[in-house]
Amino acid sequence: MAEPARVYLHLAAAAVRATARRPAYLAMRTLAAALIVVFEVAGVVLLVDRFGTIGGWRPAEVVLLFGLAFAGQGLALLFGDTLEADKVSQLVRRGTFDQVLTRPVSPLGWVLASYVDTRFVGRLLAGAGTVVWAANRAGVAWTPGRAGLAALAVVCAATIVFAVLLAAAGFTFVTVQGSEAVNVLVYGGQYLASYPMQIYGPPLRFLFVWVVPFGLAIYVPALGVLGRQGPPGLPAWLAWLAAPAAGAFLAAGGLAWRAGIRHYVGTGS
Amino acid sequence: MIEVEGLRKVFRTRRGPVEAVAGIDFRVAAGEFVGYAGPNGAGKSTTVKMMSGILLPSAGRVEVCGLVPYRERKRLARRMGVVFGQRTQLWWDLPLQESFELVGHLYRIPAADRLRRLRRLEEVLALGPLLPVPVRSLSLGQRMRAELAAAVLPAPQVLFLDEPTIGLDVEAKAAVRDFLGELNRTEGTTVILTTHDLDDITRLCSRLMIIDHGRLIYDGTVEALRTAYGTTRVLVVDLAEDEPLELAGAVPVRAEGRRRWFQFARDEVSAAELIARLLASNEVADLTLEEPDIEDIVRRIYRGET
Repeated sequence: MAEPARVYLHLAAAAVRATARRPAYLAMRTLAAALIVVFEVAGVVLLVDRFGTIGGWRPAEVVLLFGLAFAGQGLALLFGDTLEADKVSQLVRRGTFDQVLTRPVSPLGWVLASYVDTRFVGRLLAGAGTVVWAANRAGVAWTPGRAGLAALAVVCAATIVFAVLLAAAGFTFVTVQGSEAVNVLVYGGQYLASYPMQIYGPPLRFLFVWVVPFGLAIYVPALGVLGRQGPPGLPAWLAWLAAPAAGAFLAAGGLAWRAGIRHYVGTGS
Repeated sequence: MIEVEGLRKVFRTRRGPVEAVAGIDFRVAAGEFVGYAGPNGAGKSTTVKMMSGILLPSAGRVEVCGLVPYRERKRLARRMGVVFGQRTQLWWDLPLQESFELVGHLYRIPAADRLRRLRRLEEVLALGPLLPVPVRSLSLGQRMRAELAAAVLPAPQVLFLDEPTIGLDVEAKAAVRDFLGELNRTEGTTVILTTHDLDDITRLCSRLMIIDHGRLIYDGTVEALRTAYGTTRVLVVDLAEDEPLELAGAVPVRAEGRRRWFQFARDEVSAAELIARLLASNEVADLTLEEPDIEDIVRRIYRGET
């Protein structure tokens, strides 16, 4: 494994060097990726502030959820941005993917490494900064355990976003046409799942926790960070399930990607 | 080196199944230089994709370097080079030098071997001054030379080329052809050249395969093709004065000012006979005889006229 892994590091380093050749452009894109977090968070603050609290959560506590979600999204997009439907569709239509298949490497490894997009470091950092800021406003006393839970939430959220993108990419190999619907599902779903779970009725809550487990990945660990009790049926100790749930979701995404590749090699379209 | 038997590929489309490759058979021995021609949509690139492991055959057998391409894709990729004329395999935003380094990593070529081989390629393809230049800034001809160097850097046993001279000027075409011929001679690399440019084929290929509607319709030498199908020649006459001209045994095919083109079948009338008749009746400023053009022959084969 060690030898092939080095190939992907070389590919990723080449991708980073390529973007670093235009530092001003990179800086602007990184800033833009970070500013999205600032604007979204400002929107949430303005909204929640009108009501005082949402489901018993104060604005700072809701913002903490969004910070975790955005940090996770940044981490996922750092590698997975190129898995977005329209980008995969371009890889296929331009014949780039055919060329990837003539290389002695894993196609997924190639795509992830060759299209590392460092601007999403901006979103990751902005998300992490939001978490720290919101935790302080909410009066969280940081302990290693709470920091660990926050990190767990970020990694699990990233895993789920990545898994959804992976599945969507697999799907795009079949449809070829990039579909905006997938983006709506990924980002819209993540946005909705970033509000405290108790504001949703049982069906939606079930969906966000057990089907697309954003709630399990973000909301449940955040309960621990904030020292809160969850609503009935969602105790804080469920955080232990976040990693296995995200892992299972990733495995499903991986299967969808492989099915997509198999379809592509079968039909070439 | 390459074995293809009963190879078929059927695509399912909205308008029903389309048989892109309808059962072809051929063998290519190590060191052969094969031209693969055919009109657009004839099944050329589908065949090449099946040979390089990009596409799964619907039926039949294909083996390259003793490997089944789609099943042992990565192992085959180590022994195979691919150049697509219209797409780049290089790292667009980085200096050319770095593309070669990355190819070295991808194919696990020891650094010392890579440098030694690269020095030779740089010399043959005149790449030296281009190494610090980002690939995006190279001219098409320069880029094509670089693509070839990158493709053969891992010393592949088989090289698949798709339109490597498309869009190149005369000089760049010559450089590419010289390099390919030399590579085939000195390293014994098996080359499959897909092209519309029949000049590439007549200059380089010991063997020509023509595919149409998914079937191989010709497989043999270029010379054999010329003698088998090139039955007509053209006499070009520059008359001293612009006057009507008829020539028994030949068909006028074109006229432009005082210049006339007459086509005749070589087994019906000899050129000498025609010229004698012509000189007896008209005053002629100049004469040339055109041998059958391989391009014409192939075009006629595509149209099903032979």
